[in-house]
Amino acid sequence: MTAVTQTMPAAAAPLRKTPKGTFDIVFRNASFLAALFVLVLLAGIMLSMVVGGWPAFREFGFGFITSSVWDTQNDQYGAWPAIVGTLSTALIALVIGVPLSLGIAVYLTQLAPPWFKQPVATAIELLAAVPSIIYGMWGLFVFVPLFAAYVQVPLSNIVEGLPIVGTVLYSRSPSGLGIFTAGIILAFMIIPFIASITRDMLEQIPSVLRESAYGIGATTWEVVRHVLVPQAGVSIIGAVMLGLGRALGETMAVTFVVGNANRLSASILDPGSTIASRIANEFNEALGLQLNALIALGCILFFVTFVVLVIARILVSRVKTY
Amino acid sequence: MLSTLELSPQTLDAEAPVRIAVKNLDFYYGEHKALKNVNLDFRDRHVTALIGPSGCGKSTLLRIFNRIYSLYPEQRATGEVILDGRNVISNDVDVNELRSRIGMVFQKPTPFPMSIYDNVAFGIRLYEKPPKSELDDRVEGALRRSALWDEVKDKLKMSGMGLSGGQQQRLCIARTIAQKPEVILFDEPTSALDPISTGKIEDLLEQLKTDFTIVIVTHNMQQAARISQYTAFMYLGEVIEFAPTNTIFMNPHKKQTQDYVTGRFG
Amino acid sequence: MSMTTPSTASQTPHAEWGRVRPARRTADRAMKLIATGFTFLAIFVLFWILGMLIVKGIGGLSLATFTQVTPGPGSEGGGLANAIVGSIVLTFLGIAVATPIGVLAGTYLAEYGKGSQLANLIRFINDILLSAPSILIGLFVYVILVEPFRGYSGWAGGVALGIIAIPVIVRTTEDMLRLVPGPLREAGAALGAPPSVVITSVTWRAAKSGMVTGILLALARIAGETAPLIFTALNNNFWFSPTLSGGVSNLPVTIYQFASAPYENWQQLAWAGSLIITVSILLLSLIARRIVRGSK
Repeated sequence: MTAVTQTMPAAAAPLRKTPKGTFDIVFRNASFLAALFVLVLLAGIMLSMVVGGWPAFREFGFGFITSSVWDTQNDQYGAWPAIVGTLSTALIALVIGVPLSLGIAVYLTQLAPPWFKQPVATAIELLAAVPSIIYGMWGLFVFVPLFAAYVQVPLSNIVEGLPIVGTVLYSRSPSGLGIFTAGIILAFMIIPFIASITRDMLEQIPSVLRESAYGIGATTWEVVRHVLVPQAGVSIIGAVMLGLGRALGETMAVTFVVGNANRLSASILDPGSTIASRIANEFNEALGLQLNALIALGCILFFVTFVVLVIARILVSRVKTY
Repeated sequence: MLSTLELSPQTLDAEAPVRIAVKNLDFYYGEHKALKNVNLDFRDRHVTALIGPSGCGKSTLLRIFNRIYSLYPEQRATGEVILDGRNVISNDVDVNELRSRIGMVFQKPTPFPMSIYDNVAFGIRLYEKPPKSELDDRVEGALRRSALWDEVKDKLKMSGMGLSGGQQQRLCIARTIAQKPEVILFDEPTSALDPISTGKIEDLLEQLKTDFTIVIVTHNMQQAARISQYTAFMYLGEVIEFAPTNTIFMNPHKKQTQDYVTGRFG
Repeated sequence: MSMTTPSTASQTPHAEWGRVRPARRTADRAMKLIATGFTFLAIFVLFWILGMLIVKGIGGLSLATFTQVTPGPGSEGGGLANAIVGSIVLTFLGIAVATPIGVLAGTYLAEYGKGSQLANLIRFINDILLSAPSILIGLFVYVILVEPFRGYSGWAGGVALGIIAIPVIVRTTEDMLRLVPGPLREAGAALGAPPSVVITSVTWRAAKSGMVTGILLALARIAGETAPLIFTALNNNFWFSPTLSGGVSNLPVTIYQFASAPYENWQQLAWAGSLIITVSILLLSLIARRIVRGSK
């Protein structure tokens, strides 16, 4: 190693000016503000629901949630039938939709011939692209008459007079509209979400795991049940919660088929209403306290879906869903 | 192994001034100290090679000179890297200006998703607004210097991504020299290329050292021997030996250097 | 073993085949049948819906559908011209609102905020907004824009659609920017380009097709939204004012109002509108997915 002889004179290099210094700062701040806007949005939605619904909460207190009265003449409002309707339609949607979704995910990842996978996956994704209102049209004009004629009427004849099922499954006026119908339509609407997340989860499982299970002679069903599903477990529950979040807030399709009855019926085949359908139906004609009561319903819906979606996101933690 | 090394004809100028002087340089990835008290002089218009086993800190050292490490908040350097009389790792040197003076060519070719012409003009346009004809000349000049002109002169409007790996790497070299930097850093520039492309890049380095101070990180000891005049052997974040390349490969003073260049470890 | 005693090889008792219990095999077959059946049921529903739209909607399609305005109660004929144009205006207004905000926010998450606690929080909240019920967005915009200014307007409708589109664009922008290799950013920075220039002229360009896809998906998502428009843009049966004040007619709400109305021409138009909107949205989604697959 030789000693340093001389260093380059400092003046040798030409001066260069940094380009676009201002733009750099503006751009950085603009993108930061845009990102903050996402937080502002959620806070704004929450705040507007609480403030808009406040008069109703103040007027009726906790009774707003538990009361079943919805009387526009006397300005008395209670959320109970809509809450029950929302929860029961969503629950029915899950009971029907989850097995279907899991079956589809298993078919797509384990059973479908390679050339057939892409078309099937696309078809399932297109189910998600069909607008809500179109599901409503299909439900009201195609599904409802068939459901009334081939399910409601025969079923009511069978269960009439029986204990419990004679109440829960009996429809007084078999129009085809009702909580159960809404649940079925919702089931098909949430299938694409649950199925595609579950498929992604199953595909992420290392194939070594699958191969070693097959290697000891397990059948496809055993591999799915004992290896794949437990491995993907928590995220599948997350996917289901995500579907639940969708089902709770779905509006147009439900409004078309739920029957929009304000009272609570003991039968799931009878008409009812959900929070979203009630808002959609009454909002434009509502005045004064009724308007506040509807926003208060929105507030309840917001907090319920918020909790469900937070749980869902924690469980699924970053998978593609759009 | 020693016997198979073909050493470059040494056009080594011991009187050449120092372009970059590194003094008492330490580097940290978070808590982990990756470079320990590095002192090195890089001579003007010479090729200096940094060699050593993986993880020895040679790439880390290279990435300090243009402060590219500062893209990552958890990385930090202390000490002095003197270029043109100023300590470039201190915050009072504008990082963008520094990078326009010290170009860098990466391990994998990094053509930008734009036309070949725009790739080469990218760096020029950042700092100057030359008239179209002058810009054309500079782009052509840079492509000629990087031995790419004949291959791309008819498709300057085509995307740079459409070139072969070796061509892409020469495009990146053209993009770097178009900006007329003083120093060019090469971070294993041929490790992702086939032998023929590698040969072309090595020829190019030979040409470029007449105008630029070059620092190259390489895994390939033959490459270091062929193209560099000075070599620094690094191990575990320290410079073990720094000397003219001939000395490092033929007559190293340290046992570790000898073991490494003869292939006994690393 | 057989090598040492070749003569006994033929007499070695072989293990019996058929060790898989029938129950296991049945369960396996049943599961395969059920999974396949479920898949075809879902596909069947998709085609059922599409078939229904074609059968009922095609009869309502004529030149008048695209040239005449929506008919008032009891009047004859009519078309969907104002609703179609209104929908296009509202949808693009929504995209115009959402694209700059969504792209910039996604850029912040992927480039500047990478790894920071704040960015993680924003990402989480964005994912929640992504699935938030659209009717709540409608209520929100009603409270902040319609009520204070005492009137429905196209602007309110556009903003509502924009708010629904923002999380979609934020998410896809971030995902696509994350796919851009780090060395490309370093190469831009190594030429002395400041971060804003690296992002706008290198990273964005590299992620361009994916980002465009995100915007198309957002477009497909909001084009059919009905619930948020009912309380914001409303709907009516004439051409809207160019200032977009007052109600702006649009397809989804028109379908909603016409579908169960007692007038036959209204019902016919509702079906025609359903066909138009569904086909447009499905095509948009297919194009968006094609781009994604092409760029991978």
